Amino acid sequence: MVQLRPRASRAPASAEAMVDEGQPASEEEAEHGLLLGQPSSGAAAEPLEEDEEGDDEFDDEAPEELTFASAQAEAREEERRVRETVRRDKTLLKEKRKRREELFIEQKKRKLLPDTILEKLTTASQKCNLIFLVNLQKKNEDCEKGSGSKKVKVQKVQSISQNKSYVALRLKDQDLRDSRQQAAQAFIHNSLYGPGTNRTTVNKFLSLANKRLPVKKAAAQFLNNAWGTQKKQNAKKFKRRWMLRRMKTPKK
Amino acid sequence: MGEFKVHRVRFFNYVPSGIRCVAYNNQSNRLAVSRTDGTVEIYNLSANYFQEKFFPGHESRATEALCWAAGQRLFSAGLNGEIIEYDLQALNVKYAMDAFGGPIWSMTASPSGSQLLVGCEDGSVKLFQITPDKIQFERNFDRQKSRILSLSWHPSGTHIAAGSIDYISVFDVKSGSTIHKMIVDRQYMGVSKRKCIVWGVAFLSDGTVISVDSAGKVQFWDSATGTLVKSHLIANADVQSIAVADQEDSFVVGTAEGTIFHFQLLPVTSNSNEKQWVRTKPFQHHTHDVRTVAHSPTALISGGTDTHLVIRPLMEKVEVKNYDAALRKITFPHRRLISCSKKRQLLLFQFTHHLELWRLGSTVATGKNGDTLPLSKNADHLLHLKTKGPENIICSSISPCGNWIAYSTASRFFLCRLNYEHDNISLKRVSKMPAFLRSALQILFSEDSTKLFVASNQGSLHIVQLLEGSFKHLHAFQPLSGTVEAMCLLAVSPDGSWLAASGTSAGVRVYNVKQLKLHCTVPAYNFPVTALAIAPDTNNLVIAHSDQQVFEYSIPDKQYTEWSRTVQKQGFHHLWLQRDTPITHISFHPKRPMHILLHDAYMFCIIDKSLVSSSLLPPESSLESL
Repeated sequence: MVQLRPRASRAPASAEAMVDEGQPASEEEAEHGLLLGQPSSGAAAEPLEEDEEGDDEFDDEAPEELTFASAQAEAREEERRVRETVRRDKTLLKEKRKRREELFIEQKKRKLLPDTILEKLTTASQKCNLIFLVNLQKKNEDCEKGSGSKKVKVQKVQSISQNKSYVALRLKDQDLRDSRQQAAQAFIHNSLYGPGTNRTTVNKFLSLANKRLPVKKAAAQFLNNAWGTQKKQNAKKFKRRWMLRRMKTPKK
Repeated sequence: MGEFKVHRVRFFNYVPSGIRCVAYNNQSNRLAVSRTDGTVEIYNLSANYFQEKFFPGHESRATEALCWAAGQRLFSAGLNGEIIEYDLQALNVKYAMDAFGGPIWSMTASPSGSQLLVGCEDGSVKLFQITPDKIQFERNFDRQKSRILSLSWHPSGTHIAAGSIDYISVFDVKSGSTIHKMIVDRQYMGVSKRKCIVWGVAFLSDGTVISVDSAGKVQFWDSATGTLVKSHLIANADVQSIAVADQEDSFVVGTAEGTIFHFQLLPVTSNSNEKQWVRTKPFQHHTHDVRTVAHSPTALISGGTDTHLVIRPLMEKVEVKNYDAALRKITFPHRRLISCSKKRQLLLFQFTHHLELWRLGSTVATGKNGDTLPLSKNADHLLHLKTKGPENIICSSISPCGNWIAYSTASRFFLCRLNYEHDNISLKRVSKMPAFLRSALQILFSEDSTKLFVASNQGSLHIVQLLEGSFKHLHAFQPLSGTVEAMCLLAVSPDGSWLAASGTSAGVRVYNVKQLKLHCTVPAYNFPVTALAIAPDTNNLVIAHSDQQVFEYSIPDKQYTEWSRTVQKQGFHHLWLQRDTPITHISFHPKRPMHILLHDAYMFCIIDKSLVSSSLLPPESSLESL
């Protein structure tokens, strides 16, 4: 975790400097190292480190000739640049956050009803609540009863204007409710009549004795009226057509 | 040649719907019964088990639980997720409140009657507060993993037992948290793959929880320690319902095999203090699942998929061993579902979602008294009229001339005109009903078919004049101030001048149709009216009550007739008074003013008023059973 200390300009600057040059194992480690190190002296300490890093890389060659002043100036430049980039980054972040907040506020506003209706609601709630709500409820009930022929179930919503009373319905809720009710009915059906229950049909129950006799007899209801419906329909049609044909052509 | 041609109508294929829940109210001795088509009926058990009120059903209302709370308020909950309160005065639904927990499986009222507990599909148990005009959500208890199928309060109101799938939880009411979770074995001493559904739980005041489940077991649990005390295997199929008596010394369970078992708390030996629960009596009165049972102080009540409501008085609880202690089985409806058009020989059958119009068959043969004549023309199914919408039909009627059909659901009123051309029939609906004609409890046409009388559920009576293709509202009789009483029965005199209407409590009111005002009120009687009719010439109003008393009241004279007074002094024969089913229809012989024809579910009878007997003999000519 990054700890942002009050005298932040030194530590992050040096971290950035380290990142630019030497690529430490991780940013965190570098910062930890720096924090432990407690940079008390200012710019003077840094160029020494830089020089050391430079020394590590090019071991064979002789060190470069750098005056103290130029190095200091360079270091200052670097520091300034780093500070500026950090500041820019911060401001950019701030702007981004601001824009996001505004976007959220706008979306929220869009979700809410327009101002006029909100005003009306607040004034309405300030009035005598009980009587108002009772009247509205009565109106809603009347409206509901009037539209009783529709199959869609209606949810009561407080209406704002007194001359018009309407009821609003959220289809998403309705689907959820229906599916839950269906699931509940399926549960009951399954637990009472589903597999595993010891239930049988009336026909089987009444015919049990008949079927267990040494000479098996017919069941109590042995006619299956649903058998061969298509065949029977075809036969009926054919008969009708045949009769018509016979009536049309007189038999000699 | 016999006096009448009797048509034996066997084509009314009425199939009642199965009973799903039953709730007994101790204070008023009433039973609320809810059926699978959503109808809720209220039976008055002290008025000879008469069905005095009913609430029409709705397709989406699959009731799963019914309970009385706060004295006389009736609540039901179902798979559409709503808690519905019924208005017992106006005979309609007061309001429906969504519990937001998915389908509701169980509901119970607290012992104090001020709170309502509901078990939902998502595993939540919700507590509602009953306010004077509505119910209000209070809080949720700890949510369980599977659906809550049964609930029971401890009589002190501190704990709750909830039965679910494979386990029972005991909750503490104050904190709402689970105290114990008792795992139910899937099979009695065995292993089974099917989940064990706990269909019913009951909480006794000594902390015992009784559970009945789908493996056929009745188990006793100790709620203090959360352990199983005793297990009884009583059936091979599910045990689906349980009801405990108020004194907690007996309870009844109903199984899916149609048997109900009575358990009693009896001492172990004849003089010991220790008591134990013993299964005492099995009763097999049903052929299919017994989905619900109730325990009144003197009787066991059961109802199930085979649509019978069986009330079995317990012999040890009944004080006087007379006819009242016999088994009562309520099978047939207590209202009229058929109306007849005399001129065109048409019958209108009322089903839950459609109406059927039939023309009676005719014969040209003649014969002696008692012969069966062959039909030359079969009965004809003329019309099959389906209602729009999910609501059930409350009442229907066809005019005597056969040109008008009127029927009503809970929110709409329909009036249709029929046209007959040769053998074809065409139907045209009168659109645009007036606002006051919303829902009717009873519809009646006048004898000359020019007027329509509608009893609406706000307690008002409307008279509508029927013209060629439309109608005109003539008058509305408002109810007496202070009462919103639903008019259940109507009768009109054949000459069209008198209209009689009976409500649920006050006496029968008679209105003068020509002058449009109230004429008189018959004195109130403490049993509800089951049938009304006005005789043709004498304008005598004949009233039948649910305790099998028949009164005759003369409308022009505004007093009971001589015959009625004599009969009341003598009293009816005990065989007459011991009939089970109420008289649903009264009619009169067109040529013999001394005869009254009436029938109930099992008999058709002709009362001859001229035979006033000195001793207690049954009325003349036939208590014939059909």
